[in-house]
Amino acid sequence: MKKKSLLWLFALVLIVSAFLAACGGGSDDASESGSEGEGSSEGAADGEPQKGGTLVYGLDAPPEGLYSSAFYGIATDFEVIELFDEALINYNENLEPEPNVASWETEDNKVFNFTFEEGVKWHNGEELTVNDWVFALETIADPDYDGPRYTNVQTIEGAEAYRNGDADSISGIEVVSDYEINITFDEARVNNLTNLWAYPMPESVLGDVPVAEMSASEWVRSTPIGIGPFKVDKIVPGESVEFSKFDEYWNGDVNLDKIVLRVIDNSSVVGALQNNDIDMISLQPVSGPEVEPLENVEIVTYPGLTYYYVGFKLGKFDNESQTITEELPKYQSKELRQAMMYALNRQEWVDAFFFGYADVVNKPVPSSHWNAADDSELIQYEYDPEKSKQMLDEAGYVDTNDDGFREDPNGDEFVVKFSHYATGNPTFESRAQAIAQYFEAVGLRSEVEMVEVNLYYDMVEKDDASIETFFGGWGTGTDPDPSGLWKADQLWNYPRYNNPEADQLLDDALDIEIVGTDQEKRKELYVEWQKIVNEDLPMLYIAELEEIMALNNRVGGVEYDVSGQNSPAEWFVTE
Amino acid sequence: MLKYSIRRLLGMIPMLILISIVVFSLAKLMPGDSLSGEIDPLNTNPEYIAEMREKLGYNDPLPIQYFNWITGFIQGDFGKSTRFKIPVFDLIMEKVPNTLLLGVTALIITYIMAFIMGMYSGRRPYTLGDNAIAGFNYVMLAIPSFVAAVFAIYIFAFQLNWFPFAGSVDILTEQGSFEYYVSRMHHVLLPAIVLGAMSTASYTQFLRNDIIENSRKDFVRTARAKGTPMKKIYNVHILRNSIIPLVTFLGFDFAALIGGAIITETIFTYPGIGQLFLESVTSRDYPTLMALTMLLSFLTLFGNLLADILYGVVDPRIRLD
Repeated sequence: MKKKSLLWLFALVLIVSAFLAACGGGSDDASESGSEGEGSSEGAADGEPQKGGTLVYGLDAPPEGLYSSAFYGIATDFEVIELFDEALINYNENLEPEPNVASWETEDNKVFNFTFEEGVKWHNGEELTVNDWVFALETIADPDYDGPRYTNVQTIEGAEAYRNGDADSISGIEVVSDYEINITFDEARVNNLTNLWAYPMPESVLGDVPVAEMSASEWVRSTPIGIGPFKVDKIVPGESVEFSKFDEYWNGDVNLDKIVLRVIDNSSVVGALQNNDIDMISLQPVSGPEVEPLENVEIVTYPGLTYYYVGFKLGKFDNESQTITEELPKYQSKELRQAMMYALNRQEWVDAFFFGYADVVNKPVPSSHWNAADDSELIQYEYDPEKSKQMLDEAGYVDTNDDGFREDPNGDEFVVKFSHYATGNPTFESRAQAIAQYFEAVGLRSEVEMVEVNLYYDMVEKDDASIETFFGGWGTGTDPDPSGLWKADQLWNYPRYNNPEADQLLDDALDIEIVGTDQEKRKELYVEWQKIVNEDLPMLYIAELEEIMALNNRVGGVEYDVSGQNSPAEWFVTE
Repeated sequence: MLKYSIRRLLGMIPMLILISIVVFSLAKLMPGDSLSGEIDPLNTNPEYIAEMREKLGYNDPLPIQYFNWITGFIQGDFGKSTRFKIPVFDLIMEKVPNTLLLGVTALIITYIMAFIMGMYSGRRPYTLGDNAIAGFNYVMLAIPSFVAAVFAIYIFAFQLNWFPFAGSVDILTEQGSFEYYVSRMHHVLLPAIVLGAMSTASYTQFLRNDIIENSRKDFVRTARAKGTPMKKIYNVHILRNSIIPLVTFLGFDFAALIGGAIITETIFTYPGIGQLFLESVTSRDYPTLMALTMLLSFLTLFGNLLADILYGVVDPRIRLD
């Protein structure tokens, strides 16, 4: 009897492992890599746009449910907002502003005159006027406002006084008529327009709600309205949203009848695409190789605005006085930093951990920005371990005690301590180890420390002594000005890079006295700045990411460029 | 029994106070807060973060923060979720129906399966069938739920197309209509089977052992001697005695019903308490996190009490006073 039961157990184990094998198979045979359409790309379906039909839009993380441009906190919520709302101003593929609902005129970059299109309707039938925009600006400048957008309003003249309760309205806003408005900024800046908050808010429904209760109100959470081509019909919190065509959309025809948005777990994305359960979704790089072999799905990539780097802690920052108070000696040698850059095989690393969906960069400005320096003007830092070793020798980092690793110029032990954040993602540790191995290959002893992600950024921000070199990433916006992440008086200048000459260039590029409205002249200054940080290397620039979208073959009319997707009004599906 | 219940309920108060201190300290001991993490420079700036920290009271001394939190909590004000920006109570109430549906369905599946398997095993111990059932149970117990969930989605949702792979309802159905409820049941079934079928082991084995034990007792021998059919002995005499330990489980299941299944809900994108709990931990949403932990602690204590009382009800030999 005992033998028999053992047999049974064995059989059960076999059955289970057969299941295991069947499920593992799907993901293994997708090792060939290939990057398809670069830049902006047409949707998968060809031919004339068709009317009607329902498109299923996937999200791989649940939204928080703050469906108002003024209140949302995470990118997932914004993906939902983009389907039913529009900004007054759009951005083209060079991230330059373009009129959408509003067009503008200015003579001095201080006073702007905006004219709205007439006949633009909110989803509740009310007409959009400039008052809805004033309402949005005043809400954001309200002392009770709990969202993060005040920075986009504070440059308007009188916003500060309104926020402190010293004024009943923002003095820089002057309503001329229902379709015309003048906005005066506190000073002339070249980026006043790109920095300005450009989403209206429906005063007709939110006007009576106290600002402190707005983010919890039904007009934000369950029945939001916008001015976009689709209106929200129904929201099932945390899992799906139903949109239908808005018949009174102001800007041309809408092709689709419905969009259904579904939240799905990352582990189901590939299967859902394969089964035609979802038509389009933004992919994580790791899913790319699995989706590529699917015949019913096309992958479209477009340049992103995110870059990754390995930073050096060069100093300590005091947040009270907003100055860099102390210089840390360990990585001050520029030759050392450059040698470490030559030691990195960034292409190999990117291919291994981002599956080809990223490009090696040598500057902290995304390549698709209009002010990005051309590669020919920058040092390229091709992988060259021999050159790296030679530079380290010349800089005095030699192995004096024959332990196989280099000592610093004083003959003391030199250890590169490299920190990386840890989340549930198992690849983070191996990608950190890979970087450490590149350093070890040129004779620099390296240690990797993985720190839980919340604690990590806290430590990086507070210049914790245990952070010496660190991995990080930044996303940049439509405004190409890198001041907030680079100047010596900025908290988020994590390497504590302190170069008055570079800071001056950044100031000049924003100074209307120097550059006027001449974009070419601004670009020259930014290129000059990029040359400096490209040579100085306060951080080792690794790669900029591509955004990856998976589109079912039946979807058409979808286009992407660096500013994001085109209007959902142009999307269509073929049956 | 009333006196006993009141005594127990009063005894829960110091316990809950202690738990609240531990919950609060642990939450605050986690590195970072709801405003740290990967910063997106497009959306925010250091001044905003500093201002919000001040507004949310993160800069106050810990005892004051604790006191503020616990006074609100006792008065029924669970605070406002830092992430969702709505009162935690509303947030929890929004998720409870989903979780209850999933929990109850899973429990029913567990009970039915465990009952059938336990009775079979108990009646025919040490046979091939008994061992197969034990093997099945322990294999299920050993498979982590996230593995089972992913496999279940792959096989039943993607390959066989029997069940939807995510969500709690098809959004295109009219709320309140017949299709709506059918769709909800259809969506809940797969996660409930994964949850329910995986946790049959303890119930089955308890029932089995109890039946075996009871079948050797004198009253069974007496019943057999007077000629009662075996079927009746097992289904009536023994079963009634063997259900008693199972009833106590019901009390423990009480907290699990609300607590939901963190991993299973997340993988099935089933918006319930479990998923909310996981998100509130990763985003350091203290008010939600602490309210949920307190709620679950309370339900566990309450479940224990319920189990004790139920035991007294089904087995009069046990006296509570």
